[in-house]
Amino acid sequence: MASEVLSLEHLSKRYGSREALRDVSFHLAAGESVGYLGPNGAGKTTTLRMIAGLTVPSGGTVRIHGKDPSRERADALARVGVLVETPGLVPYVLGEDLLDYIAAVKGVPSRHRATAIREAARQLGVEEHLARPVGSLSTGLARRLLLAGALIGDPEILLLDEPTLGLDPAARQDLRKVLSDLRRAGRTILLSTHLLEDVQELCDRVLFLRDGQLVGDEPVERVRTDPRGAPLRGLHLRFIDDIVGERLRSLLGEAGTVELDGPREATVYFPGDERRQAELLAAIIGAGLPLASASPPEPELGRRYLAKVGREDAT
Amino acid sequence: MSGVGATLAINARWEVTRLRRSQRLWLLLIPPVAGPVGSAIADLYLKIPSQGTALILGLLVTGGLGALIMLDLTALAVGEDLTLRAHLTAFPLPQDRTALLGGRVAVVWGGTLGAYAIGAAGVWVLGGALVTTQPGAVTPLFPPSHLLLALPALLIFLGGVTAAAAVITRAAAQALVAGILAGVLAAGAASYFVFEHQLSAVFPVGLAGIGIVGLGFALYRYPQLEA
Repeated sequence: MASEVLSLEHLSKRYGSREALRDVSFHLAAGESVGYLGPNGAGKTTTLRMIAGLTVPSGGTVRIHGKDPSRERADALARVGVLVETPGLVPYVLGEDLLDYIAAVKGVPSRHRATAIREAARQLGVEEHLARPVGSLSTGLARRLLLAGALIGDPEILLLDEPTLGLDPAARQDLRKVLSDLRRAGRTILLSTHLLEDVQELCDRVLFLRDGQLVGDEPVERVRTDPRGAPLRGLHLRFIDDIVGERLRSLLGEAGTVELDGPREATVYFPGDERRQAELLAAIIGAGLPLASASPPEPELGRRYLAKVGREDAT
Repeated sequence: MSGVGATLAINARWEVTRLRRSQRLWLLLIPPVAGPVGSAIADLYLKIPSQGTALILGLLVTGGLGALIMLDLTALAVGEDLTLRAHLTAFPLPQDRTALLGGRVAVVWGGTLGAYAIGAAGVWVLGGALVTTQPGAVTPLFPPSHLLLALPALLIFLGGVTAAAAVITRAAAQALVAGILAGVLAAGAASYFVFEHQLSAVFPVGLAGIGIVGLGFALYRYPQLEA
């Protein structure tokens, strides 16, 4: 088993009478990429702040490679790249000034610093904007510059809070590619986000947070499979009138499964190709079931998110 | 990861970069240029009757300019990142936050005190060269050499109060206001002691002490600030 690099034990945070985080425990092994999902106010940013040493826990412990970031800050954060919340930027400094400062603090030797800055900026597509005052950058470019800062120094662990916030679709895709490459290179990533597709694409595991409590810790399954591991095809069916699940099950056969999403909605999974899908739809209509529409099912992760934390904020 | 010495150096360099990019570095030229030149013009056109009075006038101009610069640069060095929430970038970096602030304040305080020192030296040289004490001229209220040494204490006082206020209010603008109020209080107290003939070395030493305590408080509290 890979070694544990990040460990949270019974972590809690209280602001006055409000309990922002309650007894949260989880661990990240080296090379793991973990999504941290929850609605606004669930405590995701509070958790990341405590891991980054920006906030002291009210209870419990955080350890990065066994070090407490609120007490042994420099040691604990030595190989960590952090982007928490939306940091402000000092408007008159240049992008290259900021990255040079970050690289220097992270201990990048001066002879390698220019290369490290260029490489991080190139990965995030801000190389040509380095000579501009950061106050003149758009929100998206500024965000990418900060992300480049988090990547400088080849960090082992990346703590990213809504990293794609404010990015246009192309930049978001570029960032996903960068993070995907880092994940393949064995970096440990904790990704707090609202975007289920980010987690679906980038993470091995997902943590669900609701009202400051961890309500789920599961692997991210990319495709639903049968017990032998063969991929299943899914269809979300909507009917005009109430339906009986047993009738659908009998049409699907033993290899298929039915999940009722309400009295008039169901998602079915079955082995086979498009021809099998067409046969099934014909059988449903032939059996007299009042089918209104058939569409691809909601992504698996989205279904689990809704089951764990409710409808709020899932995008 | 960097040790305390390296962190001090990196953040001192960072402060110099920020002063350069914001053009605030030019402020440090004001006391060495405007202090001696302004007081020399006054010496010549106002026909100052004694060398001591000319030196006091020149030192007050230079020290006053230095005080304004100390207030401005300290408020920004301590409070600007907190105001802009730019500390969210610097705080999670692997560095000692006391050394972070120490490195930046060292540049600002060193620069301002150095600028004052150069300006005061200029005043001393020019005042001595341009003004001759007239027979029967009124004796100055206190020896200029005492003021020469007391003004750095005032600068330290203002810098310390401003640094502490910046950490408490987390706002550069409010820290600046606090520093100005502290300056008004110090000037009022100094005037009172002069007129009561009670002004002694205790006053500037006390001011410097308060300034050091203020800076110490800022260095102690800054690392504990939560995001």
